[in-house]
Amino acid sequence: METLHQILSPDFLLRNSVYTSVLVGFCCPLVGVFLVLRRLVFMGVALPQISSMGVAIALSLPLWLGYLTAHGSQSGHALAFAGSMVFTITAILLLAFLERRGQGLPEGRIGVAYVVSSALSILLLATNPYGEIGWLDLLKGEVITVSNFDLMVTGIVLTLVLAALALFHKEILLVSFDRAMAITLGKNVVFWDVLLYLLIGLTVSIAVLSVGPLIAFGFLLIPALTAHLFAHNMRQFMTIASLVGGAAAFLGFWISYQWDLPVGPTDVVLLGTLYAAGWIIAQLLPGARN
Amino acid sequence: MNESLIRLDGLSIGYNGQPVLSGISLSIARGSLTAILGANGSGKSTLLKTMLGLLLPVEGHIETTAAAGKPLVFGYVPQSTQFDPVYLLTGVDVALMGTYGRVRPGRLVPPAERAFTHDCLRAVGAQEFACKRFAELSEGQKQRVLIARALTARPDVLMLDEPTAGVDHAATHAVMEFISQIRTERRITVLLVTHDFAVVSRYAEQIIWLHQGRVLQGTAKELLTPKRMAEILEMETD
Repeated sequence: METLHQILSPDFLLRNSVYTSVLVGFCCPLVGVFLVLRRLVFMGVALPQISSMGVAIALSLPLWLGYLTAHGSQSGHALAFAGSMVFTITAILLLAFLERRGQGLPEGRIGVAYVVSSALSILLLATNPYGEIGWLDLLKGEVITVSNFDLMVTGIVLTLVLAALALFHKEILLVSFDRAMAITLGKNVVFWDVLLYLLIGLTVSIAVLSVGPLIAFGFLLIPALTAHLFAHNMRQFMTIASLVGGAAAFLGFWISYQWDLPVGPTDVVLLGTLYAAGWIIAQLLPGARN
Repeated sequence: MNESLIRLDGLSIGYNGQPVLSGISLSIARGSLTAILGANGSGKSTLLKTMLGLLLPVEGHIETTAAAGKPLVFGYVPQSTQFDPVYLLTGVDVALMGTYGRVRPGRLVPPAERAFTHDCLRAVGAQEFACKRFAELSEGQKQRVLIARALTARPDVLMLDEPTAGVDHAATHAVMEFISQIRTERRITVLLVTHDFAVVSRYAEQIIWLHQGRVLQGTAKELLTPKRMAEILEMETD
């Protein structure tokens, strides 16, 4: 309990890390719900990795252009955010477009994107003299060193995403559930699709920069899958997913601080445990599941 | 009754620029109940989707005569089997979607629209099960919810894609009686795609029969006589 008091104290040295984890924990599942609904779970795996590759490429650009630098925290993060955004949004739009055309194997394309982006990230890291010093932490998603600026950017971006999801929930849900009906009602389905993909891209980018690709994936999908076991309607689905994500982020931080474990993997293992427990409960108590 | 609401002029329909049916020229009368009849793969659903604007015509064009210069409002009832059960939507949630065409983005559905949706659910006899998960309803119950959703759009034209597929005889009769009734009460033009000759002969005033690349149009009395049907089916055996 002493550790809990420390974490909750306003003077806690790592308070920005706690706030960032919890913010990502609350917000990522709300976007993840739409990945689950649109059966884009594999996209949820690949996008954080593509985002990481975008970070690696963006941070390698100055080196390729002859500006050798280890990157100051703010300029480095701005560059990393830009790279992450560009690659994530381009990838999601391209993959969604190809899937909409209905040709080839969508899972195959997503798998190739995942494995190539993972390999390219490692290659870029290995060939950059500042990789180990400057941005290995970024790619690993070390939640320990979060500046006030990073926290502010994360807060602003996620608030914008949540506001857009809340405002346009009915349009995004309609286009996801019944595209044909949306067209007959005069909705611009391409616009709403692109908006949803932009929101997913923004969330993935900021989550990868804040907590790393592994945790971003964990928070995008596992809370949504856990919530789907018990929710009876869309409101419950989104609320439970968000609460599971936020609670797991806080508990994960607490556990990792208590036992000196890395935060990210602790969060993901905790989420996986919650999902497994939820699945068992849903099997044992049929009345509890949806 | 004879005023033309939709006119198809030299229309070719298909996918990716490849026609599956060409040279379609016909008209749909305002207030009529028209059945689109044909074998699997004859282009029935493609024709319906083209008229709805879900597919672009390969060639030709579609003219609509809307009232007071406003575009026609379509109420679309797709096949109930096409929906993904992963969505945690109740029958009410699904029916409410029909109002989204009138509710601007970023706005909540107003109470009056919610009340109207419940009226439509009541009218189709779906009120009892409307609060249940849509995915868990029987096919007949889903059809009723989807018809209610189409009605909440306040349509000029109701387009139904095989509304009685997977529905037993009694439910088929109930659904079709209801469609006939609301057509009369709300002065709606109805187009339905079906394989069911019994439904067509009993309820349809006009028939569009798609057969081996040909489009035959006429009344049930003209097309569904034993002599005429034998002529048409002989075309198939030849």
